[in-house]
Amino acid sequence: MHGNAMKRVNMSKESQMRAAINQKLIEMGERERLKELLRAKLIECGWKDQLKAHCKDVIREKGFEHVTVEDLVAEITPKGRALVPDSVKKELLQRIRAFLAQHSAL
Amino acid sequence: MKMEDMSLSGLDNTKLEALAHDIYADLVEDACLGLCFEVHRAVKQGYFFLDETDQDSMKDFEIVDQPGVDIFGQVYNQWKNKECVCPNCNRSIAASRFAPHLEKCLGMGRNSSRIANRRIASSNNMSKSESDQEDNDDINDNDWSYGSEKKAKKRKSDKNPNSPRRSKSLKHKNGMWSETIPDGN
Repeated sequence: MHGNAMKRVNMSKESQMRAAINQKLIEMGERERLKELLRAKLIECGWKDQLKAHCKDVIREKGFEHVTVEDLVAEITPKGRALVPDSVKKELLQRIRAFLAQHSAL
Repeated sequence: MKMEDMSLSGLDNTKLEALAHDIYADLVEDACLGLCFEVHRAVKQGYFFLDETDQDSMKDFEIVDQPGVDIFGQVYNQWKNKECVCPNCNRSIAASRFAPHLEKCLGMGRNSSRIANRRIASSNNMSKSESDQEDNDDINDNDWSYGSEKKAKKRKSDKNPNSPRRSKSLKHKNGMWSETIPDGN
């Protein structure tokens, strides 16, 4: 039981660290910048157009009077995640790692 | 527990890497959701399918991707080698040269007034300038590249203040110029 209690303390320390880093990410505006960067890259590589075409199929299938946000989210999000090109993923991870390296020492 | 007490030792590299991936996954999720909301609104507001019409029209205006032709299907260097007749001097001029020629020929445009002003200025200063001006004109008419305007500008600075033309002060690259200048001695 003592071991489990220690685990829980360490876990909460870790999650507090993560929360702190995430907070820094937002407060310094970096998350917003990363968001914009990702959006721009995804448009550039045609990801948005691809998914929009997929949306058209979903809408025609469900009927566009009745289609809901949930329908779209359920159909689009998994495909969207898979379709992100590797180069874009690499670039974003690189920037995130750089931020963490700079700012994770509090 | 204060935030300030924690240090990097709290998160090792694997955990940092996992955190990086989580942040990335969040960002991708945001992008997907953003798209869903955008599309959903477009559908409900009725502008999602606006760029589509009937199949025939779509075919008519499809983007063209052939060599020698722009995306509308028009040939774009069709007029490169055509010739036009100048309404002023009735000479046949190449299409790409036509606009500058017309500028000089009609006496309009920036450089024409510059040349005219220079002529006026030098005809006030110099006695021998007359014959030389005509040579300038001919040479200017035949050579429409930017190089000729540079030469023209150089001439203006040479004619400036006092001394009449001496061959030693002329720094023209083209030997043609020194031929047309009469010896000022």
